[in-house]
Amino acid sequence: MPLIIKDEYPEKLFREDGKRLDGRDKHELRPIKMEVGVLENADGSAYLEWGNNKIYAAVYGPREVHPHHLAKPDKGILRVFYRMATFSVFERKRPAPGRREKEISMVVTDCLDPVLFLELYPGTSFEVFINVMDADGGTRCASTTVAALALADAGIPMRSLVSAVAMGKIDGELITDLSGIEDKAGEADLPCAITWFNEELSLLQFDGTMDIKEFSECLVLAKEALNKIHEIQLEALKKKYIDIQEQYKGGEKGA
Amino acid sequence: MENDQDDSTEEPTTEDNEDEEIDEFDDDETTRDLVVPGEILTEDTENFLPGRGTIFNSERTKIISLNIGLKQVKKNYINVIPLRGFYTPRPGDKIIALVLDKNPVKYICDINAKEEGILKPKNTVKRGKPRGFRGGAPNHQDDSTEKYEVGDILIVKVLSADRLNAPELTTVGKYLGKRRDGLVISIDPPKIPRVIGRSGSMIKMLKNLTNCNIFVTQNGRIWLKGGDIAHERLLIDAIKKIEREAHTVGLTDRMSVYIENEKKIRGIN
Repeated sequence: MPLIIKDEYPEKLFREDGKRLDGRDKHELRPIKMEVGVLENADGSAYLEWGNNKIYAAVYGPREVHPHHLAKPDKGILRVFYRMATFSVFERKRPAPGRREKEISMVVTDCLDPVLFLELYPGTSFEVFINVMDADGGTRCASTTVAALALADAGIPMRSLVSAVAMGKIDGELITDLSGIEDKAGEADLPCAITWFNEELSLLQFDGTMDIKEFSECLVLAKEALNKIHEIQLEALKKKYIDIQEQYKGGEKGA
Repeated sequence: MENDQDDSTEEPTTEDNEDEEIDEFDDDETTRDLVVPGEILTEDTENFLPGRGTIFNSERTKIISLNIGLKQVKKNYINVIPLRGFYTPRPGDKIIALVLDKNPVKYICDINAKEEGILKPKNTVKRGKPRGFRGGAPNHQDDSTEKYEVGDILIVKVLSADRLNAPELTTVGKYLGKRRDGLVISIDPPKIPRVIGRSGSMIKMLKNLTNCNIFVTQNGRIWLKGGDIAHERLLIDAIKKIEREAHTVGLTDRMSVYIENEKKIRGIN
């Protein structure tokens, strides 16, 4: 269902029945749908619908680096290109990559870097192209999640997947998975990502005001949400192959 | 001159790679368990060691998968047979290359790997051939890149390949050289063993049922030539089906049924 977001913020971000504006509980995620192998010409690809966010990710690599001076002789490089479509936001977004795109490309790169074995592919690059078709808050988290999925689909050796979610604070209450309006009108915004092989934070940004106690409480709550997202990721990754397996379940092994 | 009769004009082969007889997808040790990156394969690190596509975690208490693939337990090694991936050249591989560019000292070939392959003119002619009467006319092919043109399809062998340098190729050897006819199709490189099958069973079946010549190479490219276009088309559809269903059981039997059925539907024999 399309949700029209106006650029004026309501006074209260909770409804009278205690739920959030879009009808969610405080720690309820938006509905998430993931799919892999959606783009034929990419080495690996994934598509994500996270609430009103719609994001495609495509992975190419390992391949030669252009421009060549970026290549490193001792390790491969990971390049992430985060771009928003002109029609993805309420007011037309100018298509040239701006400060925000460069920042998000950088944080996603740094976030995915620890799970890859870049030292095995010197002089080459892995390129991840993230295109946000529709944006409604939390696109950097959604982009990280979908990029990890696309890398796994491309068959690039990875230590584990990466999942991300935004925590926040609105009207003095901690919440999980901010929507666009809560992000803009809320008090605090805390996107965080986890690498599952060591269960360490790979992305942690912060904007707003929150005390230390709330901050650590946020991280505990984030872990719960991230577990749910990780399960959806694994399911999406396996689904592509399991569907074909199910089709021929009766066959004898060792034909 | 003797060099006019070169091996590159040799008739296409029906031979396939004899040394690639293990179908890792259809091994007895390969389970149908689909694993994903980061999945814990075992916590018993006393009895098992990480093999292909797996590593220890940092505390050496678990073995985890690196790829999306099928789990395989072989002796005390745990492997993951990948379902997606890219081709890494290894010395001795016979592969199909496309000449992208040439200059007076080398040909540059696309070999579906992260780096382009280098083919030097000295590796395109046999060594030690007599050069005509009393040393006679010098062999120009020896030191110039006139033998192949840009856009040629070559079957080449990898002479050397490592992590740092561009792989070096040769066209001297049995079945190697330029292909003047036939078709080349491309599939996912990890699924090549499945097209060959256990001891070549799948490829033999494909050849017998479609009357096509097939040359399967490790970089995911398959050269094929049949009597007519209908058989070639059927073969391509069959190979695409193998690629899609590589991780299922009983594929060889199912493929022969599929080809027989399709023959009836398409009205070819």
